Amino acid sequence: MGQANYTEGSSVVGQRIRPVQGVDKTKGKPLYPADIDLPGMLWAKILRSPHARAKILNIDTSRAEALQGVEAVITHKDVPKDRFEAKEGNEGLTILGDEVRYVGDAVAAVAAVDQNVAEEALQLIKVDYEVLPALFEPEKALHQDTPTCHPYGNVMYGDWNSPTLEYRRGNVDEGLGKADVIIEREFKQASTSGIPMEPRACVAQWDGKKLSVWDSSQRLFGVKQGLCQLFALAPDQVRVVTGNIGGGFGVKECDRHSFIAPLLAIKANKPVKLWYTREDESLDCYYRPGLTHRIKAGATKDGHLTAIQARSFYDGGAWAGFGGAEALNLAGAMCSRVMDLYHKCPDVHWEVYCVRTNHPKTGPVRGRSDVESHFPIECILDELAEEIGMDPLEFKLKHLLRAGDVLEGHLTVDILLQRGKTISSLGTEECVDAGKKAIDWDRRNKAAGQGKGPKKRGIGMAVATHNSGSTQYYKSEAKVDIDSEGRVSLLSGSTDQGSEQQTTLRQMVAEVLRLPIEAVGGISGDTDAVPLEGGPIASRTVYAHGIAVTRAAQDARSQLLKKGAELLGHSPDGVELKDGMVAVKDNHEKRLAMGEVVKGSGGMIHGEGRFSPLETPLVTQGFAATFAEVEVDTDTGKVEVLRLVSANDAGRAINPLVVEGQIQGGGAQGIGLALMEGVAYDPPTGTMLNQWFLDSGVPSILDVPDVEPIIIEPWEPTHPFGAKGCSEISVISVAPAIANAISNATGKRIYDLPMTPDKVLKVLQEGGNR
Amino acid sequence: MENSKQVRLEINGQSHELTLDCRSTLNETLRNHLRLFGTKLGCNYGGCGNCTVLMTGRPVYSCSILAVECEGVAINTIEGLSGEGELHPLQEAFADAYAAQCGWCTPAMIMAAKALLDRKADPTVQDVKIALSGVLCRCTGYTEIVKAVLQAAKGMQPQVAKRNPTGGPN
Repeated sequence: MGQANYTEGSSVVGQRIRPVQGVDKTKGKPLYPADIDLPGMLWAKILRSPHARAKILNIDTSRAEALQGVEAVITHKDVPKDRFEAKEGNEGLTILGDEVRYVGDAVAAVAAVDQNVAEEALQLIKVDYEVLPALFEPEKALHQDTPTCHPYGNVMYGDWNSPTLEYRRGNVDEGLGKADVIIEREFKQASTSGIPMEPRACVAQWDGKKLSVWDSSQRLFGVKQGLCQLFALAPDQVRVVTGNIGGGFGVKECDRHSFIAPLLAIKANKPVKLWYTREDESLDCYYRPGLTHRIKAGATKDGHLTAIQARSFYDGGAWAGFGGAEALNLAGAMCSRVMDLYHKCPDVHWEVYCVRTNHPKTGPVRGRSDVESHFPIECILDELAEEIGMDPLEFKLKHLLRAGDVLEGHLTVDILLQRGKTISSLGTEECVDAGKKAIDWDRRNKAAGQGKGPKKRGIGMAVATHNSGSTQYYKSEAKVDIDSEGRVSLLSGSTDQGSEQQTTLRQMVAEVLRLPIEAVGGISGDTDAVPLEGGPIASRTVYAHGIAVTRAAQDARSQLLKKGAELLGHSPDGVELKDGMVAVKDNHEKRLAMGEVVKGSGGMIHGEGRFSPLETPLVTQGFAATFAEVEVDTDTGKVEVLRLVSANDAGRAINPLVVEGQIQGGGAQGIGLALMEGVAYDPPTGTMLNQWFLDSGVPSILDVPDVEPIIIEPWEPTHPFGAKGCSEISVISVAPAIANAISNATGKRIYDLPMTPDKVLKVLQEGGNR
Repeated sequence: MENSKQVRLEINGQSHELTLDCRSTLNETLRNHLRLFGTKLGCNYGGCGNCTVLMTGRPVYSCSILAVECEGVAINTIEGLSGEGELHPLQEAFADAYAAQCGWCTPAMIMAAKALLDRKADPTVQDVKIALSGVLCRCTGYTEIVKAVLQAAKGMQPQVAKRNPTGGPN
């Protein structure tokens, strides 16, 4: 690959560069898919099911179609069958089905001249349902008499008496036998999601030959591929444009809205805009699974963690990501990544029942698998340390993964195996040290709950790990074009959903070409213009795409140097790039402007770069340590987070401004997960009861302290700039740190997220601890 | 058309005569009739504040106001904030910090902040937080936003006497 060391005299990478779109965003100028306005455009609305599980016996759309202003109505009959082959393990995406699987599942869609007519038309669609029994509680799947509520069964790859997957290390019974202290706890986590502020939109236009789609998607090539498949179109017949997206957090990948708008546009023969209402967005995003974990953990009196035994019930919802495979991967990684983090725990057995229920879809949301696993593990180990009288920080540090340790890896073959590999870089200890100092860990109550008065303060911590780019299977390509005026353009398939990908990537290009950031422009987010890229998901952009981008810039650079040397009459290693020139190394007077060199090359230099995830034998992961100080009002149960110190190892920070922003944003989302967010369902019907922002809040400016970001920068050897991904590692350790701080403050533990005031009060008022 | 009314709206100092469905919200009108897409929509039920505009200098949720209520009332949106090429100090400060990540809440945050700074030249951190508490952001964690508003306040102080929100109270 060519280890390029750009640390010396780095003038762009590592700098706090202003985001390239910053000014435009302050003017409200960037266009999001919802802002696209085309002549003759129709508005679409979706009809949703009132039942959690039912067969659709008949849909009569005639009255809706007859309403003046309605131009198209679609149902499952309009969806080309068998284009997405659904089978167990890849249950596919049901765009509009002949059965519904959750309250709010999509049944039909309408395109009309305006939103009012479209909504009126929905009322006129008559659906005959045959209501069927539904499953809402995952544990019920273990009762033999529970009816099967899904074509592939209730328990993914399992049954009422056999789990979906099992993780084993050593012999857990022996391990528990060696423990002096064993604690057994039940943890619950409500279903949560990214809840970005922009509800998704898809605008579709069909001109008889080509389908153009503007879509709020983090995966524009995924959407393109899906559209080609569904409509049996060739790649040159489909264009997907994303432009700007108002937040992603994993939930804006490829979903039914990307297909419903095109179906309507083709049927109506007019452009169609489907802009989800907040209700649509709530019912058609995917959620982290609701979880119940029963965990036993054992330790010796002198501080050795000997065993962890766990059983988890995972509410996979109606579709678990893109079929069962995603839930399997998520659940597999849930066990194995945190158990790889606690490498020194010898004996582990973890069973997971991934249950298909009639709740909304689940899938990979920010921090996937590790948000799910770290809350129970970081909390039970904190409590176990307390039981044996040891500082939890020391207890955890003792058992953590170290450089050179061999990973056990994912349980499932998630395209890439981590098994047998080692971590490329890790800074967990440095994160813990830095955070510990910043919060002043010694101020922590030596005995929990010792504060006086109704308001009690405490400090808690948690560590975390997450994938950081190398083990996602999407390839990446990039191009760097230089024209005859010396203007540089980065062609990147990554989209901007808020983590400033384009700024960071352009910094890498600028660094390689020895130019200021202003000299690098770019095109992104349009499948007609940019090369293949998996998308800004899974913390992979700076890593996987960044490597491709750097290689493209290096390719352009070496073409410049070769041609420039030729024109200057020197050998290629006798010249260098400086200030937009190709100059002779020891005689900068002899030089040519980049544009002149490009002219000499025939008018355009194209640099190309590629990255393939199988190329490195090492595994890149991010690490973090979060320290929280809370004040618990024991009269009201309200928890205020006074301080949140979060030290993140994301390798070298290409742009510290951006990395700090991700730590701060992740901190706020973590506070939401800890204290506020969670879906509530009506038990008998499975109806989602929350109305986001009103019933289940996300943190407002009043709920979040100034998150204190600390950037820890071990050099990542497999990346030319030493960087890793950073946008997810920032969320994971926050909720457990807060939970542990609440325990330190009050002497009581809450095992149920979100830790809303009613739950806190209940625990405080109950005698003793769990 | 049924249920329609002629309305004269004053947006960013410009008058617009529109024939609107009485049910149209100010938000729909700004976006779909006047094609001013800078004002966003996050929920349409007053839960998130991403649709915030100024009405006689006060921040309001444009999703929760009918256009017909705005007859002759001065409305200011993000598009009206910067003059020819010159950024408002809030825009400068937001761009300088990392106060806009995905950018969706940014117009609303800036308008809510403007309403504050136009009536209080020297706000405290708590003043800023309360003034912005009606706009949700999911990306930033808010710290850089507060920093940007305070920075803008410093930049605006000598000019407060000059600036006067269109038609609004001082």
